[in-house]
Amino acid sequence: MIAEALAAQKEGWRYTPVAALTGPDFKPAGVPARLEPLGGRVLCPVGFHRAALVNGRWEAKHAVLKLPDGVTVEPLGEASGLAELLSRPAPADMPLAQAASAARDGFVVRVARHSRADRPIHLVHISEASPVAESSQARVLVVLEPGATAEIVEETLSFGDAPSWKNVRAQVVLGEGAFLRHHRIVREGAQGRLTLGLEVTLASRARYESHALNFGGLFAREDLRVRIEGEGAECALNGLALLGGSEFADHHSVVEHAAVGGTTRQLYKAVIDDKARFVFDGLITVKPGAQKTDAQVYNKNLLLSEDARVNTNPEFKILADDVSCKHGGAVGQMSLEALFYLQSRGIGADEARRLLVYAFGSEMVDRVALEPLKLALADALHGRMPEEHL
Amino acid sequence: MLKITNLHAKVGEKAILKGLSLSVKAGEVHAIMGPNGSGKSTLSYILAGRPGYTVTEGTAEYEGKDLLAMEPEIRAREGVFLAFQYPVEIPGVSNKYFLKAAYNAMRKHRGEPEMDAGAFLKFVKEKAKSVEMDPAFLNRSVNEGFSGGEKKRNEVLQLAVLEPKLALLDETDSGLDIDALKVVAGGVNKMRDPKRAFVVVTHYQRLLDYIVPDFVHVLSGGRIIKSGGKELALELEKKGYGWIEDKVAA
Repeated sequence: MIAEALAAQKEGWRYTPVAALTGPDFKPAGVPARLEPLGGRVLCPVGFHRAALVNGRWEAKHAVLKLPDGVTVEPLGEASGLAELLSRPAPADMPLAQAASAARDGFVVRVARHSRADRPIHLVHISEASPVAESSQARVLVVLEPGATAEIVEETLSFGDAPSWKNVRAQVVLGEGAFLRHHRIVREGAQGRLTLGLEVTLASRARYESHALNFGGLFAREDLRVRIEGEGAECALNGLALLGGSEFADHHSVVEHAAVGGTTRQLYKAVIDDKARFVFDGLITVKPGAQKTDAQVYNKNLLLSEDARVNTNPEFKILADDVSCKHGGAVGQMSLEALFYLQSRGIGADEARRLLVYAFGSEMVDRVALEPLKLALADALHGRMPEEHL
Repeated sequence: MLKITNLHAKVGEKAILKGLSLSVKAGEVHAIMGPNGSGKSTLSYILAGRPGYTVTEGTAEYEGKDLLAMEPEIRAREGVFLAFQYPVEIPGVSNKYFLKAAYNAMRKHRGEPEMDAGAFLKFVKEKAKSVEMDPAFLNRSVNEGFSGGEKKRNEVLQLAVLEPKLALLDETDSGLDIDALKVVAGGVNKMRDPKRAFVVVTHYQRLLDYIVPDFVHVLSGGRIIKSGGKELALELEKKGYGWIEDKVAA
């Protein structure tokens, strides 16, 4: 069914090699024979609140949740009072999110009015090793009531040599003046596929700050829909993809300004090595009446090999007249001037290259305010630097 | 220390150096002056190993070794330093990290243990003081958003940290006002040492009021056409380059 839906998609999918999803004969993932510990496999430090989906199922043994009053993190099946949000259809052009709507399990995070999650909430999506190709689906619901604050770190992982595919539909609802920092870290295995449909709505003066970091995986496609519904809401979308081998990452976002005085700052960066490929399609629409909108969308890419490819398309559709909108896409190679400058100070050519790639990517890691996560990400960034063969 | 013999070089198909010879001993300061397009910067870049130049004839020996056969980073580790005319901005790499990486690469090359971050920070702050640089610049990205003067000062800081045996200064005076020039020249003069040689490439005599050379060479048409003492620089300042070029042509 999903394969048919994908085949019917044209616009927005023309650069996407859907064979990675339609090729393997995916079976629904079952419960693994034995529970593997998370320690050593996840990036986030212990000390965060934690919940995990293993092969798309809530795993109570992985949960570490001592939540303060007003904050709940529950499996989808146990959450009540969400009928309206759960039954809201996914956008017509997001067939995978539509399919994931039927998922039986997932995360539900709620923060009550003016409450604050005392520590970051770490949500782990993990696909365990299996002898055959397996897929799983999940839903994620995050509801912050007016004035509520939370930090969430979602991490997706997969293991084993057989193809795996996680298809996730996520909905984030931010009430008036609510503030969410949403980190999404992809650390999939060499056969890991991830598709994510994420819908975010912002009420007046709500703030949504997102950091999407792709540190590995065969195939990752994210479709973002952000809707600024209330006055003076702020949206920051940061992204970094480090791709090598034959990895593919595909970012599609639509940010819709439907209210006065909204702000969007979007910057996605990608480092693309070997035969890897990156697609960036970032659209910001400004609806009639959404005056004083201040929006920027940028995509910057660093190509490290002749076979690496990128398609970039930052764009605007503006139907209001009193707005400030800027966009730009850049594709570049390693600066030979900078390389020579470093070498002329005694820094070896290989180290100089790694230093320059690190410098390009570290801007996005530096934007992460959560200190322990920033340190872990800096280490992960080091671990993804190109090899000496360059 | 440095012996250049009959050096010919081109960029693409264009011949820039056409038989340049120069000999520099430890402790000496040589100034190379010449009009625009005479090959001054090409000479600096070739000695530092910048890609894009083809040496078609001649040799450059550094401490008895074939300098031109070495990779740029090996030249640097062996003690050759080029202060750039246009220092490169490297966003995302902090100045102090850059200096530490360079410094430790030297030490490693000499078989010495690397210096740890704490000890290096103390060391580099002292050096920054010596070139009158605000230590805040150590935390900024390499040259990013620096003014012309700050970039040149940063070059001199690198010179002070790396303590090369042979320092090539490429148009270090360009873009500097007189106060910045004095600071930069002061930093260089503190580095003068019987074991260290300088080659100062400049278009104008002005810099040589502050960094007084032992020898002055006039580069024109890819060759050194006249050499003399520091008084030659003053003569050039008064008469321009034309008179020597005319004389040579005649």
